[in-house]
Amino acid sequence: MQLIIEAIGFGIATGAVIALGAVGFSVQFGISNILNITYGALMTLSAYIGLILINRGVNAWAALALSAVAVGVVSVIYHRILLAPLVRRGTRAIAMIIVTVSAGTILQYVIVAIAGPSSQSYGEQSGQTFHFADLTLSFGQVAIIVLTAVLMFALHLLLTRTTLGKAMRATSSNRTLARSCGIATSRISDIAWFISGCLCGAAGVALAITTVSFDFSLGALFLIPMIAAAVLGGIGQPYGAMLGGLIIGVSSEVAAAVSNPNYKDVVAFVILIIVLLVRPRGLFGAAWSSRRLMEG
Amino acid sequence: MAWEYYLVVMLVYLGTDLLAVWGLNLEFGVAGIANLAYIVVVAAGAYAYAVVTLGPSSNLGGFQTYIGGFTLPFPLPLLVGAAAGAVVGTLIGLTGLKRLRQDYQGVAMLVVSLTVVTIVSADTGLFNGTAGLALIPNPFANLDPETARWTYVALVAVCCLIGFVVLRRFTTGPMGRTLRAMRDDDVAASASGKDIVRLRLVVQAVGGAFGGLSGALLAGFIGGWSPSAWAYIETLAFLSCIIVGGRGSDRGVSLGTLIIAVLLLQGVQFLPQIASVPGLSEDFGWIILGTATIAFIWFRPQGVLKERRPRYHAESSSKLPG
Amino acid sequence: MALAATAPILEVDRLEKHYGGVRAVDGISFTVTRGAITGLIGPNGAGKSTALAMIGGFVQPSGGRVRFDGVDITGMPMHSRARLGLVRTFQMARVFASLTTLENLLVAAPHQRGERASGVLGGRRLWRGQETELIDQAQAMLQTFSMGPKANDLAGTLSGGQKRAIEIMRALMMQPKLLLLDEPMAGLSPSLSRHLEDVLLDLAEGGLSLLLVEHELETVDKLCGNVVVMAQGKVLSEGRMSELRLSREVQDAYVIG
Repeated sequence: MQLIIEAIGFGIATGAVIALGAVGFSVQFGISNILNITYGALMTLSAYIGLILINRGVNAWAALALSAVAVGVVSVIYHRILLAPLVRRGTRAIAMIIVTVSAGTILQYVIVAIAGPSSQSYGEQSGQTFHFADLTLSFGQVAIIVLTAVLMFALHLLLTRTTLGKAMRATSSNRTLARSCGIATSRISDIAWFISGCLCGAAGVALAITTVSFDFSLGALFLIPMIAAAVLGGIGQPYGAMLGGLIIGVSSEVAAAVSNPNYKDVVAFVILIIVLLVRPRGLFGAAWSSRRLMEG
Repeated sequence: MAWEYYLVVMLVYLGTDLLAVWGLNLEFGVAGIANLAYIVVVAAGAYAYAVVTLGPSSNLGGFQTYIGGFTLPFPLPLLVGAAAGAVVGTLIGLTGLKRLRQDYQGVAMLVVSLTVVTIVSADTGLFNGTAGLALIPNPFANLDPETARWTYVALVAVCCLIGFVVLRRFTTGPMGRTLRAMRDDDVAASASGKDIVRLRLVVQAVGGAFGGLSGALLAGFIGGWSPSAWAYIETLAFLSCIIVGGRGSDRGVSLGTLIIAVLLLQGVQFLPQIASVPGLSEDFGWIILGTATIAFIWFRPQGVLKERRPRYHAESSSKLPG
Repeated sequence: MALAATAPILEVDRLEKHYGGVRAVDGISFTVTRGAITGLIGPNGAGKSTALAMIGGFVQPSGGRVRFDGVDITGMPMHSRARLGLVRTFQMARVFASLTTLENLLVAAPHQRGERASGVLGGRRLWRGQETELIDQAQAMLQTFSMGPKANDLAGTLSGGQKRAIEIMRALMMQPKLLLLDEPMAGLSPSLSRHLEDVLLDLAEGGLSLLLVEHELETVDKLCGNVVVMAQGKVLSEGRMSELRLSREVQDAYVIG
């Protein structure tokens, strides 16, 4: 039982990071109808930028913020100069996947070429630990949970209380209709990619903080659980992605605790495959949204 | 004579790459099936070849554990490899039957690929886990090394020849036409009386057989096979050849394979050495591959040699073009 | 096992389709006469396209049955219906864009030896003869539709009207018994529409049965014998267009929608 409680606690911590990444991924899909597989490598980029900053003495949280913004900027540019033009030209969905996978591969190996293949670490942030009943979480883990909660709440406020947020939701839901209502969908897309890019960057640094050490495969390793969370929750639905992240995080850790820990990642993979094959719209995707997922 | 050995390696790799690319082109280029898990059928062929040639584990000191453990005579293990590829290809095909949007299909296939390699790496009883299998016997071990090497090249060449003949049966004529129709619009193809499900499974079995044979030939040549050889990203290398060369065209993708092979091998040699990072050429290889793929999708999505359709002329309708 | 010449070619029996709480088609029943053109009309949202999709096999019904030429086809997949002779066209003409016009027709020919395992592996010798015949057949059809010169053009490069023509020709290559046409005149210029109307009339005269979903009531009047009117998922009325025009019910349905 002790093991399960610990697993749940760890699961919440992992789940928080997965949720953070999943929400960004989901927003990008919602706005542009693109499954951006480059997202993984962008998280890795963020982790390494954070590493450089921390090694120069920058405070960890400032480093996170700066890396997040850097990746946000890279994401907007990436969408603007490569992805959006390809979509405009009628590039088919499978070709877009190949493009984003290729771009991710290029970015990942550029990072290797520059930073080398060996493991890196942010080092101990603080020796402080937190105790909840039988559960012990490190400072980093708790901090990330808090950070995720704050960012999710901020996103919620943005989406529901601001004009920008409403414009984003409208563009996500029906781009043509949004445009005919006078919304500058192109600019809204840029802003959405910047925000989701920042979430991607934040997730990358968060991953680096919560793992003991990491290397160039960091983003690639965690991308699939994030996609699983996003799809489970209903792709394009940020709130679904948050819940999905928690579910994936907790179930992975509990499964690893009760059976073979080598199969921890497989839980997320299998959930993703099953959701896609059985109920592609996920838990909270509206029935109409499945038209985005089905052919013809 | 290092260059001679180098040439042998190049030729064997080129031949096995061609087989795999032909198989994936049949599935993706011609039939429109987004099988981004293709590398799994190559691995299936390699592992199958290994476990039917290694013999029982105890014979080799018992340091690796695996299923199977037979010793079939040449050339049966190659056929077993192709068959394993066909079976695994069909199984993968079954997961793709639900009509998902192509990019979702692609992601699902990447995840299938990743799941399989994770499970095989973790379960040491299957194929010896992360360490993989070693000491796979070479069928020409009884010959002197240089003859053995070149005999292997001849073997690969023969397999390619036979493979190409079989390939053309599927990519040309009425079958080739029907598969491309399915690729262009599977609903309309269905409405035209085509059994899409059956066609897809057949294509994935045949494509899988090509991949399995490719893997089997590699395993026999290298003498080993491990999860590092079939990370889920490896399918991207084959896709590169297809996209660069000309999707849907057998000549095109063959040329694409040659181009990518030359580009990778020559390109990395001319790049400056950065620090002394080991494995750098492999990393640059992926950078080159990724860039070439995106460049072609951007500038020339039909590839270098685009797919050509037969032209018919009223006067000579009795003469069918090639 | 074709039935007597007077038996209907198609029987729709209490067909239904629900999506969640919405009843897109709420129990419709009608028959399609052999050798005639039957119309299916109704305001937007009446459920005509859903009905056609169920008859064609594109959508699974929630209830009811469909009988084609005496055979219950309710559970049958699309390709099996097509092989029985029940062929549909689509609202937006669907062609195989990367194949030539001629190839588009050839694809649809049934019983091709070159598609069976024996034919594929056996090689060209086994299917060459049949292929030549099919090419002649397809080229002849192209001639009758005045599209001979376009035989070697890729279908994706053609105009909307030409694509519609390809669809119809492809359907005819399948030796159909019943053609389901979903707004075939959509997107065609008036002159092309007139031409297509004449083609359809000729086909019906030749013994082919047609079920036509159309918006243009003039076209329906000109082409159709019996007309079925749908509104809000149900069959509202049936009869000749001239009678239906005068019916109060039908007029109301179109106003209310």
